[in-house]
Amino acid sequence: MSRKLLFALLIVALFLAACGPSVTATPAPSATQPPATEQPAAILQPTAARIILTDGLGRTVTLTGPAQRVVSLAPSNIEILFAVGAGAQVVGRDESSDYPAEAAALPTVGGWSGFSAEAIVALQPDLVLGMAGDFNSPELAASLEQLGLTVYYLPNPATLEEVYAAIETVGALTGHTSEAAALVESLERRVAAVDEKIMPLSYRPLVFFELDATDPSKPFTSGPGTFIDLLIDRAGGINIGSQLQGAWAQISIEELLVTNPNVIVLGDSRYGETPEKVARRVGWDALKAVQDGKVYPIDDNLFVRPGPRLVDGLEALAKLLHPELFK
Amino acid sequence: MRRLPYLWTLLFLTLAILLSIAIGSVFIPPADLWRILTGWLSAAPLPESLKTFAFIIASIRLPRTALVLLTGAALGGSGAAYQGLFRNPLADPYLIGVASGAGLGAAAAMSIQWPYTFWGLLAVPLVGFLAAMLTVLLVYSLARVGKTVPTTNLILAGVAFSAFATSLTSFLMLRSTGELRRAFAFLLGGFTQAGWNPVLTILPFLAIGLGFLILSGHALNLLQFGDDQAQQLGLPVTRTKTLILVAASLATAAAVSFSGIIGFIGLIVPHVMRLWWGADYRRLLPLSIIGGAGALLLADVLARVVMAPQELPVGILTALVGAPFFLWVLRRAKNQGYW
Repeated sequence: MSRKLLFALLIVALFLAACGPSVTATPAPSATQPPATEQPAAILQPTAARIILTDGLGRTVTLTGPAQRVVSLAPSNIEILFAVGAGAQVVGRDESSDYPAEAAALPTVGGWSGFSAEAIVALQPDLVLGMAGDFNSPELAASLEQLGLTVYYLPNPATLEEVYAAIETVGALTGHTSEAAALVESLERRVAAVDEKIMPLSYRPLVFFELDATDPSKPFTSGPGTFIDLLIDRAGGINIGSQLQGAWAQISIEELLVTNPNVIVLGDSRYGETPEKVARRVGWDALKAVQDGKVYPIDDNLFVRPGPRLVDGLEALAKLLHPELFK
Repeated sequence: MRRLPYLWTLLFLTLAILLSIAIGSVFIPPADLWRILTGWLSAAPLPESLKTFAFIIASIRLPRTALVLLTGAALGGSGAAYQGLFRNPLADPYLIGVASGAGLGAAAAMSIQWPYTFWGLLAVPLVGFLAAMLTVLLVYSLARVGKTVPTTNLILAGVAFSAFATSLTSFLMLRSTGELRRAFAFLLGGFTQAGWNPVLTILPFLAIGLGFLILSGHALNLLQFGDDQAQQLGLPVTRTKTLILVAASLATAAAVSFSGIIGFIGLIVPHVMRLWWGADYRRLLPLSIIGGAGALLLADVLARVVMAPQELPVGILTALVGAPFFLWVLRRAKNQGYW
């Protein structure tokens, strides 16, 4: 084997390594996305139609007008889009978007297992609406941006106020600002109505919000920092999981027996868990909640999708925890 | 088919490339495809109705085909090199820990919120690549005995370190606060980055790695006689083994950093090539490179259509399809002692 040949190969390859990536460092400019680094913000004056926003990944996104063909990459986005009245402007969704019913008729572009850039491009969207976080990765945003599409990732909300901000942003992007403002107002009113009744209470039941009990001796519940935790607290309960670590926290049945929650909420009822099954689990019939019959199924989609239905979840939970206050 | 191995494998690769360009999650009728291709060749402007399809082919499928081709080539070539180096039919490119190291690096990198800049988007593949190469270096230093590197030690150190790295990765994923899906998708193997950037980034490493391997065919043939015999035949054994190891690991690490952990290509393609066309490494290495590229392209086509518009991780498909296919090939050749 020739050393000179190897040396030559090495030089060529190092040369390629030096030039290669820099060739495509700048994303392809498109009609709706001017290079934000070159023009200072002052020159891009918002006209009556032009919309300029900073998204959840820190990117500056410019639209020449309200988006008319939106592809949504997260189920919460679809719910918000339909709730602000932009349902007719949505042309594509991800596989897990099942609410509202009209959304289910839209073509899908991917889901948990990944998104198809081809399917998104084939729908010819003028806005791809994602959400920062695990479900929509930054690589996906970069890939779609390189293909010349306008991509906006909503910041991942952690509080109800951030959800309201997301709703208003979606309203601005689709030209439904007044409907978005009205929706936010009505949501705030409903939350305030719950707060009013909950604030003066001194009794707050201990709540176990079950997320998974494939192994009944070690079920999963929500830890601190999630919407489940937030809404339990807002609905006048105490989340047992708030003492645990991590968003998806495991607790043993022994710990559960010692803590003895007053109410068990079955967040996995969509997967077939029922109060009768819970009563039959080994050791669970010793729990106060099971003996009192306070085991309630609930739709967990109301708690995990950061959209307007969070307030539905709050109201449902408040009714379960304090039935005497919410007839 | 006993003769003309290069012709048949190149035909296979061409067919796979054509399929990869023609098939995807969006159905493009063959007539439109033909019109687009002839339109490009004759430099005539395309009708408006075909613009979207043409865009899909040029901007999505072509770069994807190139990336898959390079990844498959890297896996096939380094798989053949590892099998020759370790003289073991079970050797695959992940034997001494490239996969587990890259998985650990990628999982760790995914837990950090990188800024949305050129380098920020490149962070996860880069950290994966560096972690993979560090793993190889670590395993190599652990396995070295004085001036020699016994292959048994390499395998043992590699297996032990892989187990350690895998358990660390599982722990990181368990404690993750929101990148579980990304890390899991990486470990299953799949192509998440579109465009020509990944292709251009890994090309130099593949050029060095695979280029060196193709030229080491003769050395690998000599190594089949055993370390002592090869030394007596004039081969500088330790240096050759080290260089082949580095070249193969470089190619594998670069491929894995963008594509995740895709198994079976590196294990099965060299075996199939060996069964059909013999164990001469001067021929086996180039054939494994071409065959690996074609096989991964076919697997990727299947991954794109079987659950359209979602994409199945390619690693699942290579295992599902590759293992039965290999058993079939093995049965047909069972009377020939080929190893």
